[in-house]
Amino acid sequence: MTARETQSDTRPLPPDQGRQMVLTFRLQGECFALVVTHVNEILDPIAQTPVPNAPRCAPALINVRGSVVPLFDIRHRLGMSDDPLPDTARYVVLDLELKGEAIRLALPVDAVEDVVEADLARLEAIPDLGARWPAKAIAGICQRGEDLLILLDTETVFNIDVALTPRAA
Amino acid sequence: MSNGPTDTFLQETVDGLDLIEERLLSLEDGAAPGVIDDLFRTLHTIKGSGAMFGFDALARFTHYFENAFELVRDGRLPLDRRLIDISLAARDHMAALLEANSEPARLATLEAAPEAQALVARLGALVEDAGLAAGGGQEAAGTGSAQNAANGAPKGPVRRFRIVYTPAEDSLRHGARPDLLMAELAELGEAEIVIDLTAVPPLDEIDPQASYLSWHVTLETAAGLEAVREVFVFADDIEISIASAPEPAAPTGDTGGADPAVALAETAGSATDAVGGRGALTEPGGTENAGRDAGGKPTSATNASVRVPAARLDDLMDQLGELVIAQTRLDSLAAEAREPALAAIAEEIDRLVTGLRDSTLAMRMLPIEVVFGKFRRVVRSLADELGKDVALMTTGGDTELDKNVIDSLTEPLVHMIRNSMDHGIETAEARRAAGKPEKATIGLSARQSGGEVLITVADDGRGLDEDAILARALDRGLLTPETAAALPREELHKLIFEPAFSTAATISSVSGRGVGMDAVRKAVTDLRGTIEIATRKGAGSAITLRLPVTLAIIDGLLVQVGEGVFVLPLSSVNECVELAEAECSRQSGRTLLRIRDEMVPFIKLDERLGLRSDGRAPLRVVIVSAEGRRIGLVVDDILGQHQTVIKTFSLFHRDVPGFAGSTILGDGRVALIIDATALVRSVQSADPHAATAA
Repeated sequence: MTARETQSDTRPLPPDQGRQMVLTFRLQGECFALVVTHVNEILDPIAQTPVPNAPRCAPALINVRGSVVPLFDIRHRLGMSDDPLPDTARYVVLDLELKGEAIRLALPVDAVEDVVEADLARLEAIPDLGARWPAKAIAGICQRGEDLLILLDTETVFNIDVALTPRAA
Repeated sequence: MSNGPTDTFLQETVDGLDLIEERLLSLEDGAAPGVIDDLFRTLHTIKGSGAMFGFDALARFTHYFENAFELVRDGRLPLDRRLIDISLAARDHMAALLEANSEPARLATLEAAPEAQALVARLGALVEDAGLAAGGGQEAAGTGSAQNAANGAPKGPVRRFRIVYTPAEDSLRHGARPDLLMAELAELGEAEIVIDLTAVPPLDEIDPQASYLSWHVTLETAAGLEAVREVFVFADDIEISIASAPEPAAPTGDTGGADPAVALAETAGSATDAVGGRGALTEPGGTENAGRDAGGKPTSATNASVRVPAARLDDLMDQLGELVIAQTRLDSLAAEAREPALAAIAEEIDRLVTGLRDSTLAMRMLPIEVVFGKFRRVVRSLADELGKDVALMTTGGDTELDKNVIDSLTEPLVHMIRNSMDHGIETAEARRAAGKPEKATIGLSARQSGGEVLITVADDGRGLDEDAILARALDRGLLTPETAAALPREELHKLIFEPAFSTAATISSVSGRGVGMDAVRKAVTDLRGTIEIATRKGAGSAITLRLPVTLAIIDGLLVQVGEGVFVLPLSSVNECVELAEAECSRQSGRTLLRIRDEMVPFIKLDERLGLRSDGRAPLRVVIVSAEGRRIGLVVDDILGQHQTVIKTFSLFHRDVPGFAGSTILGDGRVALIIDATALVRSVQSADPHAATAA
């Protein structure tokens, strides 16, 4: 895992991976980003079916056009509080490959912002004490105007076998 | 697409190898002439097409194998246990060669391996011995050209064949040599060749390079049909029909459509259909493989079938699932709208979807026989390894199961058979001492019962050793002396499915490490099945797996619990009863229900699932059978039946206990499917107080 943490600032990514389109969204005021190739669609919140005794980060199922998709509450993985979602909330439906298995999941976010181009080659690691989010969950951050863009590491943050512990503040 | 024919060859050869194995094993129970012919033909096809598709090592080796079987076919080599042993090993070697063909280095190693050399030598020795005994030089027979077959000793009574050979118009341009073919035919025996000129056009229309001729040959020969076919084996792009003429028939002009010819052509045609939808033998031109398939796949020839990739069936099933869900929505809309025309259409679609569902499910069904064959081999080699004499009796091989169920059952069944053979069946001495026949029997049976298929592995061995299980369970801390005393015998038997639970005194290479039986339970549970054990000391034991026929769509019972709607598989539901208020609110902790003099324990689903139930709704109990007993599940209300398309859980929820997956209801909501057995088990294993707190 240490390799992953240092990857962003020491090892340049291949040129074609450098600039990529990312979807940006808000969670508790912070601006997160995911590479758009993972994004399948964005939905208004719809009725959900809770799964009793399920892991806290995947508490419920929804019906996305006839297929059953788990909701994945990323806030729990990042150690954020799980306040009710605001009116602007959306579900971002993602197609991922986890543990060699194709999986579709829906990520509730406070608001979807934009699709922008980001230079992934120039990602920086979060400095120590810079945030309480588990270091493994974040691929890196980059500056965008006034804001900090936080790029999630999809392979880690959605893999519930990887225990995420918040950093000491 | 470029490697299409090679893929087809691979698939056919894999099938052929399976067939060889099955036939060889069946020969142990007594030889039937048809079976040996099948074997010979299959080997011959593999050799021929193997060489054609660049599987040279395979073709080379198969040649030796085929030689041996040619002698068997001619009755000059006895088919005994020794030969079957060699043949099975040879078959495995062929499978290895087939698999390794794309890696030259591995292939060379395989071919040069001492075992392989020994096999070749043993096959060669067999052929030589038999050859010497018969005094004929047979070893070169069947190498792919007809001369060799012709040089051999007479193979049977002199028969008369009628052959019509009409080369395709452009075949001469592609190098066909009808003259050579006719010469070869003449070598086989007495040939009367008549040329048919009726198709020759007027002179000004003749293309000098085209063929307009047809040859009609009446051949009297002792060489078999195979030998005749072999003459034409490399004649591509042609129209041939070969018929064994029943009577000395005059080679008249228009025999192309004569009855015997048609009959034979049809058989060959369905054989080629069965192996992958290539053109029939009599199809003029176009089919590159026409001649080559002549000797192929005789066993499945009667059932014309199409090979479809399993993934396409899965896709079809998915789409059908969507359709069923959409249809459920239509139904509920139609019910609301109270519009007779709409209701009529909804009903019509309902009927059609149900029919489509049944056909689609039927398409995925395979007879369990396909895996039974594999077990004969397992039993055979294990019996040798363990030094036990064991016969495998299979019944109900035609019982059909969903392909996916069969796939995931193979390994567990192998474990069960191994376990029976290693632990259940005694040594020959012990069996003698117990007054049993020395040859032990393992029974493998399958039968359908309602929506379930029951698969039983039974042996006539010593039965489960209850004392040893008890001792082991106490030792492992699975039981305390107090709980052990109260434990019913069935529960005690089920302990053999605990992980790393082995009562074997010695660990053999076969089993005894305690892996395996828990894998069996896991596989069966994953298939939403259950396990039952019956055993009697000294008389043997039988383990029965109860499995749902299909995994994809089930009939379910919709129940309301709190604000949630859940589906209970109808196959596990026994009955529904009312729950008296007093029973439910009893504070004593008793959770027993009295139904017609029977005490049935119950589980409150709302508590178990951590859902708030408003308590005012009429309380009902659904009695299900789980873990071999009746258990009540308390629900708020029963909503009705529902055709349930099972959507398996994603990896996030796969480990959540008590559910078989989810489904989508008519109103678009997602509902969870309760797996009664898993639910009961999770209640049993969990601390009842911790269960809802998590």
